[in-house]
Amino acid sequence: MKICVCVKHVPDTAATIKIDGETGFKDSEIKFVVNPYDEYGVEEAVKLKEKNGGEVVIVTVGKPEAAATIRSALAMGADRAILVTTDSQFLDASLTAKALKAAMEKDGLPDLIFTGKGSVDTESFQTQYRLAHSLGIPVVNEVSTLSVDGKKAVAELEVGGGDKQVIEMGLPCVIGATKGLNEPRYPKFPDIMKAKKKKIDEMTLADLGLDASAQGVTLEKLEPVPERTGAKMIEGSVEEQVTELIRILKQDEKVL
Amino acid sequence: MDLNPCMKHQLIRKTVREFAENEIRPRAAEMDKGPGFPDDLMEKMKPLHYFGLQVPGHLGGADLDTVSYAIVVEEISRVSAALGLCITVHNSVGIYPILRFGTREQKQQFVPPMAAGESIGAFCLTEANAGSDAGGVETVARETAHGFVINGTKIFVTNGGICGTILVFAVSDSDPGKPGVFIVENHTPGFSVGEIEDLCGMRANPVASLFFEDCAIPADHCLGIPGQGLKIGLTALDTGRIGIAAQALGIAQAAFEESVSYAQARQQFNKPISRFQTIQNYLADMAVQIDAARLLLYRAADVKDTGRPFSAEAAMAKLHCSTTARMVTDLAVQIHGGYGYSREYDVERYFRDAKVTEIYEGTSEIQRMVIARHILTRPT
Repeated sequence: MKICVCVKHVPDTAATIKIDGETGFKDSEIKFVVNPYDEYGVEEAVKLKEKNGGEVVIVTVGKPEAAATIRSALAMGADRAILVTTDSQFLDASLTAKALKAAMEKDGLPDLIFTGKGSVDTESFQTQYRLAHSLGIPVVNEVSTLSVDGKKAVAELEVGGGDKQVIEMGLPCVIGATKGLNEPRYPKFPDIMKAKKKKIDEMTLADLGLDASAQGVTLEKLEPVPERTGAKMIEGSVEEQVTELIRILKQDEKVL
Repeated sequence: MDLNPCMKHQLIRKTVREFAENEIRPRAAEMDKGPGFPDDLMEKMKPLHYFGLQVPGHLGGADLDTVSYAIVVEEISRVSAALGLCITVHNSVGIYPILRFGTREQKQQFVPPMAAGESIGAFCLTEANAGSDAGGVETVARETAHGFVINGTKIFVTNGGICGTILVFAVSDSDPGKPGVFIVENHTPGFSVGEIEDLCGMRANPVASLFFEDCAIPADHCLGIPGQGLKIGLTALDTGRIGIAAQALGIAQAAFEESVSYAQARQQFNKPISRFQTIQNYLADMAVQIDAARLLLYRAADVKDTGRPFSAEAAMAKLHCSTTARMVTDLAVQIHGGYGYSREYDVERYFRDAKVTEIYEGTSEIQRMVIARHILTRPT
């Protein structure tokens, strides 16, 4: 079985992002990681390979620096990788999905595809759906339990209130992994040494016949989240407090 | 030598740091109340090959180069120096002498359980009347028809309370001038562990005295040729010093990071104390010493990896890294003021942990002797 795992190279959630220009940020100063949700996908794919044999291929669309992040996924046990290089961290989900599809078609379509439930940088939560739609195959997102058996996959996802939905579908399909699916492993030292020798095929969007400027959504501007100003304490009797609160909402904050 | 860490080394550092931050840091302060390491933590580390870092693959290890080894020890020590100590002593003075001087049979018998973490290594040289002066060792190995019988007491043995495979430095009863190194397993009759030492730092590590009373071991438990003990001991210490240097560097790095963030957060006179030149000078001094320490350490590791003699380089790295650890943790407490003297803050633990790096595996005074000997005997 051939399994592709879509892995995004994202800033560590603990990193302090310093905005640079209109739509850039100082990425050389911060730590990048495998998108945490994608890590569950890598772990699940490697577990399936360990059980049934086959091949796990990491597919990434991102800046050339993403190669370092890909090595982390290779150290977890993936066999090789494909990196479609772009100039920007921000590619809209439709173009990302097209690039993933083109790279997979070029390499030979897999039997199963994992993505994370979303990426922690742009959080658009669309790529898995767009990818599955363009390939004409089923997709289930936020999968927390999965079994794959011959020609079908059974996925469970939480639907709120403690209820679970169980979905059976044919292969190939796209699985959006989330927390609970597994416990991603820490790579063993010998696997880290092996990861350095594994192959990463690099190609550009143009090599895949795609135009980087043909994005449905473009990023206009990045702005820092404004710092919260101090809370106001309203003193006095209940009547005085309510009167003052309404005055503030009407006159100062102009929300009423 | 390429001074930029290569991709392989970056990936090793990243992997160990993630493990250390997630699995060790939340428990490091609790572990410091010691002694001993949580079993479940040790179990997590075993399959990842932390106990066979430089052991060849066919003996169950990770076969890392020495630079990678130093990075692993630094990163573990950055969160828990006492656990870093356990790892480095086990891998360097515990396993390395067997790999270097052991017979094929000795390697196959002793190394795989050690590499799997099932048998923790210890190396014991120090006694009440011997330490820096290895010639003062009074533990005796009496040769018999079946092997050797060991009698004596070793003190301040790192990993003493949890050790399974122990390298014992002892003199021969017939010729006290000819010491040997003997492999004793913890189930040998006559072997026992004393009280765990109540130490200033490294409190999670069960450092203890070990007693050998008519401990009979087979003849094939002698490492190398009888009488070659001093050479084995010194070689073990050379490689051990790279590990201790890495450990000291990890402590210094941790104290430095805490100091930088504290100095930016702590306000006095209506501004962060990092705006004061005195604090800036402290931070600059710390950074320079740490950078120099790291370069000396990687050079020593790199020289060892290329197969050249590395004794002087290891001594220089150990001397500078341990001095740096003491200086940096001292300044870190100073920057933290009263808080730095409180157990609420990690720098208090780093301060206590740092001092012993100037003492064990050769005091700073001994390192200077080793370095001077190389200066004065090296052809100019």
